[in-house]
Amino acid sequence: MNETLATVVFLLALVVLLGTGVWVGLALLGVALVGMELFTSRPAGDAMITTIWTSSSSWALTALPLFVWMGEILFRTRLSEDMFNGLAPWLARLPGRLLHTNIVGCTIFAAVSGSSAATVSTIGKMSIPELRRRGYPEHMAIGTLAGAGTLGLMIPPSLIMIVYGVTTNESIAKLFMAGVVPGLVLATLFMGYVAVWAWLHPDAIPPEPAVPLRERLRRSRGLLPVLGLILAVLGSIYFGFATATEAASFGVVGSLLIAWWQGVLDRETFTASLMGAVRTSAMIALILMGAAFLALAMGFTGLPRALASWIASLNLSPIALIAALTLFYIVLGCFLDGISAVVLTISVVDPMIRAAGIDPIWFGVFIVVVVETAQITPPIGFNLFVLQGMTGHEIDYIARVSLPFFLLMVVMVVLLVAFPELALWLPETMREAPAG
Amino acid sequence: MSRWLRPLYDLCGVLAAVALVAMLLVILAQILTRWAGITFPGATDYAGYLMAASFFFGLSHAFAHGAHIRVGLLLARLTGGARRLAELWCLAVGGGLAWYFAYYAVRGTYVSWLIGDISQGQDATPLWIPQLAMAAGTVVFALALTDRLLVVLFGGPLDQQATDRLDLADR
Repeated sequence: MNETLATVVFLLALVVLLGTGVWVGLALLGVALVGMELFTSRPAGDAMITTIWTSSSSWALTALPLFVWMGEILFRTRLSEDMFNGLAPWLARLPGRLLHTNIVGCTIFAAVSGSSAATVSTIGKMSIPELRRRGYPEHMAIGTLAGAGTLGLMIPPSLIMIVYGVTTNESIAKLFMAGVVPGLVLATLFMGYVAVWAWLHPDAIPPEPAVPLRERLRRSRGLLPVLGLILAVLGSIYFGFATATEAASFGVVGSLLIAWWQGVLDRETFTASLMGAVRTSAMIALILMGAAFLALAMGFTGLPRALASWIASLNLSPIALIAALTLFYIVLGCFLDGISAVVLTISVVDPMIRAAGIDPIWFGVFIVVVVETAQITPPIGFNLFVLQGMTGHEIDYIARVSLPFFLLMVVMVVLLVAFPELALWLPETMREAPAG
Repeated sequence: MSRWLRPLYDLCGVLAAVALVAMLLVILAQILTRWAGITFPGATDYAGYLMAASFFFGLSHAFAHGAHIRVGLLLARLTGGARRLAELWCLAVGGGLAWYFAYYAVRGTYVSWLIGDISQGQDATPLWIPQLAMAAGTVVFALALTDRLLVVLFGGPLDQQATDRLDLADR
């Protein structure tokens, strides 16, 4: 069979298996198998098992189940109430008032949570009913939560960055630090939009009673545990006390302590959080297993090399390449979740961007912002599903109210291209803990 | 899922949970011993094996709870017989791939035992021991897909599989 035909069959297998609804991890495994059979005479099954075993028992990946578990524990604490009550009196004076609790709440929670579904669920649990009760416009209450929830992936810890770091052999600690400033800039963009919107619609925002300073401080005490946790997890990585995995284990212990201190840690919550973590990590692991085999098969197909040299022959500027990739990932993100989109494409895209001289750490942040937008674009977007379950609105409605925030994320991509230092400054100043 | 296999998936879930807790304890022990100036040789390798055990045992448990994700675009648009047919296609293809995976996992573990393959790390563990979890976990996972295939084939309910949802989204 000639090369072109084989490539077409390979891509067709990919589209059919994924598109008909075969579980993503198994679909990737199937596509890889087709690729191995078409392009090489090597025994596929033995090569598959060696690759899958190596990738699923790798030390670098151990941070992933731990951060998943940490999110599951915190979701079951009273953090949601404490955050809302602690933030509300401070934010009530800003234009847009308590709508900002969604954004600031998600920003803070994102610093202890690695997924956007966990961030949206935890913050929205309290803020949506509270904002509704006070008469805030529904579309802004939901839009801010959908948009800001994506910060869960951007601000470290971030499951997607762990996956990206493991598949491209880049330092997870550096990737984490690279996400901090862009995450804060994105949060600022969101808050700016809310303020401008509120200024244009002064009647839409209900009044809030003034709270004396003393009382504000008293209510903010609830924020202390989560701030301590952020310091322990991110601080230990930044100052080089701990690797990402070690910081994640501090995070789990810290979350358990918070749950215990709040009196919510019983057998039931402990088991529920643990089993939730087992299921979510096994789900991600299956995708990673399929992707590990696919990356191996991709090497044999010659596709990554062919594409990289084709791109090189076009003499594109890095900006044009990034623009094309942005479009590509936004479209892909309409059909796939973030982690699947990254692992599916990275074995092809990674050589391409390295050949173009693009910094892989910067690209890690870029890819996270771009696939983040996928969380709030229909028809497939995790945040949309979470919000549907939470608010009872249709997916179309939630996607529509999230649109301004989607556009702000595209602005963020432009900012990231114009000012790469946003991502690269912190990783350059950090001290990295010795691996091992 | 059939009632008499359910306890098997639950047992795998418990094993996966125990492995995850053990992994945390190994990592914490590694940090503490490092602070105390003692070395804990092979800690990173042990943590890796325990993570793998948690992943592989977790596969069937996650499947039984509908936690594995898939692209639901087409499935969501189908109803009645067409939906059942599409589901059978997914379970047949997915099940076939899962058995292929399980076959080579068992074979790989057997080969490790046969040739006495030893870990390259400081731990020098015979690799077939941690790989047993991979062999057992993938077999039960393939079994779960076949179990589900038979249930759907004989007219059982379709609603057990959540499409495109994270676990957290269930609440």
